[in-house]
Amino acid sequence: MLRRELLLAWRRRGDIAMPVLYAVLVTVLFPFALGPEDTLLQRIAGGIVLVTVLLAMLLTLDAMFTSDIEDGSLEQLVLSPQPLALLLGMKILAHWLTSALPLIVIAPLLAAMLHLPGPVIPVLLLALLLATPLLSLLGAILVALTAGTRRSGMLLALMLLPLCMPAVIFAAGAVAAAQQGLPWLAPISWLAAILVLAIAFAPLACAGALRIALDA
Amino acid sequence: MTVQTASVSLLEVHALTFLRHDLPVFAPQSFSLCAGELVWVEGANGSGKTTLLRVLAGLLHVGTGTLYWRGKALERDDSAGEILYIGHQLGLKADLTARENLRVAAGLHGSRPAMEPSQALRELGLRGYEDEPVRRLSAGQKKRVALARLLLLPAALWLLDEPYANLDRVGTTLVNRILGTHAAAGGAALVTTHTAPDADDGRWRRIRLGA
Repeated sequence: MLRRELLLAWRRRGDIAMPVLYAVLVTVLFPFALGPEDTLLQRIAGGIVLVTVLLAMLLTLDAMFTSDIEDGSLEQLVLSPQPLALLLGMKILAHWLTSALPLIVIAPLLAAMLHLPGPVIPVLLLALLLATPLLSLLGAILVALTAGTRRSGMLLALMLLPLCMPAVIFAAGAVAAAQQGLPWLAPISWLAAILVLAIAFAPLACAGALRIALDA
Repeated sequence: MTVQTASVSLLEVHALTFLRHDLPVFAPQSFSLCAGELVWVEGANGSGKTTLLRVLAGLLHVGTGTLYWRGKALERDDSAGEILYIGHQLGLKADLTARENLRVAAGLHGSRPAMEPSQALRELGLRGYEDEPVRRLSAGQKKRVALARLLLLPAALWLLDEPYANLDRVGTTLVNRILGTHAAAGGAALVTTHTAPDADDGRWRRIRLGA
């Protein structure tokens, strides 16, 4: 299943580059809008990179199940003897690998563009590594829930953004703490804890939601 | 129920309906499907043929009535993998090639495929198209790729929604032959279609759905 998803993603390499370009462009906008002041940019750099990456991911979430629903692959998934939650877990993992990982790879570049101090960047990356899978998992549940409705993209954003608030708060908290030379382990641990919970339950919730979406 | 019938009858349906907004989509259906039997579900557009098949496949909840699988009340865990459903939407990924699509299907099914994907595709007359992305195949060829799953995966009961749609005459005979072999090997199939399937074959039985 993971192979299939990655193969599919590879067939549409162009789509992977989109969110990355989007993130780069949004980040470039900030210095233009706020003026190229080192101190100001430095202060907000962590937050900007975080939010930009989250928004870029939001763009890709929408498509997670739509094509599978349209071509009937989802029916075959539901009917297959394998546990649906496991299959969906693989799908979510593939989504994270193809959409979040490229973003995380360019995140240091984005951070450097905004003059984020070098020592803080590893913390930012760690925070992103924990926050992005969380977003993938939460997003997957919501995508599954809105699967039946048409034009669910906007609805999805409206529902998902409040839910990813904790992730943003903890991730930004860690980056800010690291920037001030304070210990940043506590917020990171919180993020990790939420992520563990989400990994355990999100695929199950997704499976339930998709079954309901089909049963209409 | 005697043990003997239980061993032969694959699927038994007792007064099955499906409710959409509390209204039954089709009149209560009762029938049983034995190994080696082919059933043709007939009915006008909107009479609930597809719905019946989707209920039997487990995609929709049973409204009222009971289903028995091999003599026992149907549990999806028991029948998973033994029932193969091919609907209007073929469940093919347009970006993957025919061969890759079949490989995915076999992987999902989790069992050793009964034959190589390329052999299944050859049987359905798709030699030379194995590595073509499904996007570039014609509607009939896509249908054939989907039907190749039938050969690939070992399932006792086939639920086929309009398997003849988009197929040319050769394809139609091909499907009839595949169904015949399946029945001869002790399988069963429920097929919806508007045109009568191979009537000469004595194995066909008819179920009529009234609107």
